[in-house]
Amino acid sequence: MTEYVGIVVAFVLAGTLAGAFILLASVLGPRKPSAVKAEPFECGEVPFSLPVGRLSIRFYLTAILFILFDVELVFLYPWAVVYRALGGLGLVEVLIFLGILMAGFFYAWDNGALEWD
Amino acid sequence: MTDLILLLPELVLVGAAVALLLVARHVRHARSAVTWVVIAAIAATFAGWVFSGRGPATAFHDTIAGDGYAQFFKILFATTLALAALLSVRHLDAERVPSAEFCALLLLATTGMMLAASALDLLTLYLGLELMSLCSYILVGITRDRPTSNEAAIKYFLLGSFASALLLYGIALAYGVTGVTDYAGMASALSERSLAQSPLLLVSVALLAGGLAFKIAAVPFHAWAPDAYQGASAPVAAFLAAGSKAAGLAALGRVSLVAFSPEHGLWAVILVGLAALSMAIASLLAVSQSDVKRLLAYSSIAHAGYALLGLVSGTPDGASATMTYAFVYAFMTLGAFGVVIGLGERGESLEGYRGLAFVSPVTAGLMLLFLLSLTGIPPTAGFAAKFGVILSAVRAGYVALAVLAVACSVVSAFFYLRIAVLMYMTEPQGLAPGRLPVAVSAALAVAAAVTVIGGIFPDTLAAWTTPP
Repeated sequence: MTEYVGIVVAFVLAGTLAGAFILLASVLGPRKPSAVKAEPFECGEVPFSLPVGRLSIRFYLTAILFILFDVELVFLYPWAVVYRALGGLGLVEVLIFLGILMAGFFYAWDNGALEWD
Repeated sequence: MTDLILLLPELVLVGAAVALLLVARHVRHARSAVTWVVIAAIAATFAGWVFSGRGPATAFHDTIAGDGYAQFFKILFATTLALAALLSVRHLDAERVPSAEFCALLLLATTGMMLAASALDLLTLYLGLELMSLCSYILVGITRDRPTSNEAAIKYFLLGSFASALLLYGIALAYGVTGVTDYAGMASALSERSLAQSPLLLVSVALLAGGLAFKIAAVPFHAWAPDAYQGASAPVAAFLAAGSKAAGLAALGRVSLVAFSPEHGLWAVILVGLAALSMAIASLLAVSQSDVKRLLAYSSIAHAGYALLGLVSGTPDGASATMTYAFVYAFMTLGAFGVVIGLGERGESLEGYRGLAFVSPVTAGLMLLFLLSLTGIPPTAGFAAKFGVILSAVRAGYVALAVLAVACSVVSAFFYLRIAVLMYMTEPQGLAPGRLPVAVSAALAVAAAVTVIGGIFPDTLAAWTTPP
């Protein structure tokens, strides 16, 4: 269990620091309450609104392309860890994988997924 | 590197799919994309044929098999791919479906089927089945502007994801019980340690069987099939009925006969249940259908039941019978769907077949051949295949199940031959259908040839079927 001591110390330190900031802010900070400030804070967005308008389909395409590269990284990390053990064949296999992935990316590019207008 | 020899057919198909995607924007006619798919399918068959026996027995750390079982199914899948592509030419142009994408998805789905048939490890099997399923979901919904197609795709996707989760959970539990995921390791773990009483093993087998039964659309995991086949365009439905069913059967065969060989009794109980329910319920439900694609969907569910009869016995002979059944069923269902496609809009409802024999006798004659084969009437391949599976069930002592199978065949004769009666014994209505497109005729010719040859020389096919 001794190896977990470091984690416990980190938790305690982080908790103390965050608690101290909240405590100091509530004791020392000036108070000017308003209706806007009482709302749940969601990155400046209005927390409650009816779904009006449409989202552009391009957000969806961008998200899909993001996933493409995200998944690529998920597979590249474990490969990088055992790179030496796998040797040349591993490199070839990863290149084939990247090639197929890039073919998909090229397909999206070719069909105008990267153009916003 | 010699490992790659075993995957040559898959590599050919993936290469063809990637090449199609790269030039997708420049493919204007469905004909060129389909020609490319047919060439790729022939090349894949050829690659599998020429290099058979040249590679190692297993590859990639014993996860891929190079045996005759895998090769048999690879050839079946490649042929299914080629026929489905030929059947889809007119549909692609008429429905304005992007043909390069459609064909790439067909190629990738077939790759998944091949991987599933040659997998020697539950995780490889899962990957193969997922590749097949994900492509199938898109193929079902590829006609985006038709609401029925969207509905079918959503239903298929939701139920399919659920089935995949079942399968994955079964794999996880099987790993928990045996400590390995490869079939050989599982079999030896099961026979060394007596795990028969382990409740986890029971749950694992039930989940695996459920997940795989979904892929072959066996009752009670069949609910997606009628909706998906009806909503999907007819070529996609044909591809699903022929290909994904055979892939599921290939996987079931290997898992139940190799991975769980010491516990086959457990599988036999489940398979008997699935087979009996599928044959009985689907035959009864098919009677009241008026949409031909839906009718063929129920027919495919019933045929999944017949095909399972061979796996019940757990003997190599039984597995061979199931392989023959999957092969023959693929061609007769592709043929029946081919006639539906060839007739166009009119072919999708039963009324469209009124008096067809008087206006286009050749089309009607082909339909009759496929219907007779689906019913199991000699001298068609359907009879020989059905005889084989029922015989293997009788030899294994499941006489009641065999009697049920024969009874269900009699029921099925009612709804298959009703189409024949409509074609030959009623007055023609409306305009005569146009000539069959060349591509459809080619596909129908291949399907009819297999159906006839398989019926007259039933032993030709049996010689190829190597059990796992």
